[in-house]
Amino acid sequence: MAMTGAQTARPAAGSATIFGRWFMRHPGAARAGVVIVLVVVWEIAARFFLDRDFISPPSTVAASLGELFRTPGVPSALWLTLYEIAIGFILSAIIGAAIGLAVGLSRFAHQSFMPIILLLYGLPQITILPIFILVFGIGAPSKIAFGVTHGMFPIMIAVAAGVQKIEPVYFNSARSMGASRWHLLRYVIFPHMIPSFFTGLRLGMSGVLLGVLLAELYVSTAGIGYFTSIFTQNFDATKLIGLVSVLAAIAIALNEAVRRIELHYARWRD
Amino acid sequence: MASAQPAIRVNGVSHQFGEPGEARHVQALLDTSLDVARGELLCLIGPSGCGKSTLLGIMGGLFAPTTGTVAIAGTPVRGPMPRDLAFVFQESALFPWNTVLENVVLGMTFQGVAKAERGPRARRALEAVGLLDFAEHYPAQLSGGMRQRAALARALSLETDILLMDEPFGALDEQTRMVLGEDLSVLLSRSNKTIVFVTHSLGEAVFLADRVAVFSARPGTIKQIIPVDEPHPRKPSFMTAPKFHALRDQLYGLLHDEIRKAISESAQPRRRYGQAGAAETDGGHA
Amino acid sequence: MNGDWRKNASHRLSSRLVQAAFLAIVLLVWFLATTKWGVSRILLPNPVNVWHQLVDIVASGAFIPDLRVTLGELAVAFAISMSLGVTIGHLISRSRYWIRVFEPLFAAIYAIPIILFLPLYVLLLGLGPASKIALGATISFFPIVLSTIVGFGHVDRRLLTAARSMGANNIQMFWYVLLPAALPVILAGLRLGFTVALLSVIASETIASFAGLGHHIVDLAENMDTARMFAYIVVVIAIVAFLNAVVSKIEGRARWR
Repeated sequence: MAMTGAQTARPAAGSATIFGRWFMRHPGAARAGVVIVLVVVWEIAARFFLDRDFISPPSTVAASLGELFRTPGVPSALWLTLYEIAIGFILSAIIGAAIGLAVGLSRFAHQSFMPIILLLYGLPQITILPIFILVFGIGAPSKIAFGVTHGMFPIMIAVAAGVQKIEPVYFNSARSMGASRWHLLRYVIFPHMIPSFFTGLRLGMSGVLLGVLLAELYVSTAGIGYFTSIFTQNFDATKLIGLVSVLAAIAIALNEAVRRIELHYARWRD
Repeated sequence: MASAQPAIRVNGVSHQFGEPGEARHVQALLDTSLDVARGELLCLIGPSGCGKSTLLGIMGGLFAPTTGTVAIAGTPVRGPMPRDLAFVFQESALFPWNTVLENVVLGMTFQGVAKAERGPRARRALEAVGLLDFAEHYPAQLSGGMRQRAALARALSLETDILLMDEPFGALDEQTRMVLGEDLSVLLSRSNKTIVFVTHSLGEAVFLADRVAVFSARPGTIKQIIPVDEPHPRKPSFMTAPKFHALRDQLYGLLHDEIRKAISESAQPRRRYGQAGAAETDGGHA
Repeated sequence: MNGDWRKNASHRLSSRLVQAAFLAIVLLVWFLATTKWGVSRILLPNPVNVWHQLVDIVASGAFIPDLRVTLGELAVAFAISMSLGVTIGHLISRSRYWIRVFEPLFAAIYAIPIILFLPLYVLLLGLGPASKIALGATISFFPIVLSTIVGFGHVDRRLLTAARSMGANNIQMFWYVLLPAALPVILAGLRLGFTVALLSVIASETIASFAGLGHHIVDLAENMDTARMFAYIVVVIAIVAFLNAVVSKIEGRARWR
């Protein structure tokens, strides 16, 4: 016998129409509707009310995407960024998994090194970005390195946790059947580690994205940062919004891809 | 002398959740009528899902019935009536972030009692249930039985004529239930409160009630009302009296078929409540 | 299992030793790298120099003007995101339907690196504090609104029923039931929002600003004053850690659960 308290009248009062009822059943459609309404508001506001130097309507942004991609240097900067993300992600995965395994497998190693890892993970890494640029230069290596430092920790921590969580009964039963250390690694540890590994990968991808983008935006003499800087200085709102949108789309796509992969591989675990 | 007008009059109440044809549709109550006399303790007993908790909620104005009317001392019920009736729920609905005393005071704040009155009244109520020493404790620090006593104290402090209790001892162990039941009987003899008490337990119903209203399985309706002729306060020895056993057997006989019916019905899959959107009550769980 | 207790204690001691050794080795390598092994002073400053600079910065209070700028931006950004986040979150939480519409939307936006919006804000608001505030508010809005929605949305309905049965009006419902019940979750969200706002403000100062703690580090880097830069970084990390600890303490105090 539950009451709803703050929720008094049903929303049905205002949506007596068939149209309204359909929206009630499909919150996903309502969500899309909200986004569409926002875009329309943006369009109208930018077209008629706001200063073109500062904001551009979405229709203009969309129409000039072609021009954006034809701007010399933009496509290569985008590709370079993608390349940095990819390499950074792979390196994070390898380093994260390796160290995570090493730390997770030994209780002693876990006790000793996990606090250090957590401490480093908790540092505001943005403060050391200038060091990375100083050491690695303004090209791809610094962006990759900064991406790796952001992405490897979640993977490390997730893998270590996953390995730690393996029930001793699995080890005992395998060993009682004569499994060697290699067997244990391949047939007990590895399969158990997989779901945690993929969860870590999802977080790691967010980290790599953040690290690479931070570094790219910071360096205003090359890469994406050069173009954001130029477009800002020239008050080219159209191209700037276009570039940011493309990058956002890339980030969303990559995040979604890793999330799907995680769902697929983490299925057997709760 | 009890006045002729009943404390609570339920007239032709039916209630359904959802519309016919919807997956979550449930006919909780069907054409139920009932008079509760002033100063009596009436038990509502029946199988799971028979609508007794729903009826209690309707009596208390928590929601309106699909058809039918309820009147409290002649006044039609249109919403919660905090000055006329107080609830005690099964899972003590004490606020975990307030102390026991604060909880009792808060009830009076909601009801609209004058500020100066609240403290003294709260302490009197806590003393009546034997919890005065625990006034500064938090609910999490108390046992289940003590929490329900605190909930009872809160209801008592509101000084309403009517108490509506929805399986208040349901979550407690047998021994605590017996003790609290005895205390409630003592309380009843001292005051002139009208109490409507929902329970699953046959023994509890016979021990506490002046009358027991037996419900049928869903859709719930009152099958029969059985009087229990024994003055309050009732002693524990009542529970071994032949009269007690006879009444208990009579109840069991009435309920047996209904319980079977209810069990076979609940074996059918029901859609999970709460998924269909806002403002849902859980369909007829009583 | 009493043997375990001894084993655990000795394990804890030796792991502490390992950690201390790790730290010692790092410091030693650092020292050797800059003195004996001839790593360029510009890339890696001498730890002794860094220490002197650190003492100087702290003693002279050279970081205070920058700290004021950063804290000012943080305060305004957080004030905005907190008021907007809690208000909007509460409004949405009142209807299951709107929760289902908006919660996934907010969660999806939160997943993008919102730092991408910084150039847009700089275009709109310039290089001054306004763009930092805007970005900080934008980023920290999301954890706050999400935790508010969850906090208010998951209040135990039995408590609401009980309050209504006792005659509570809507205002009393909010103050005495909804808010206290939702508070632990909301506070956790506020703490996260605070941390995120602080980091965003420093990040945006690093990327595009002419003042503040983040900017000062960049300034020192551009002047190749690496010893002082390292020292400054330590100061900033300490400030961040301190602020986060304070906020954690406040959250801990205010929670009843």
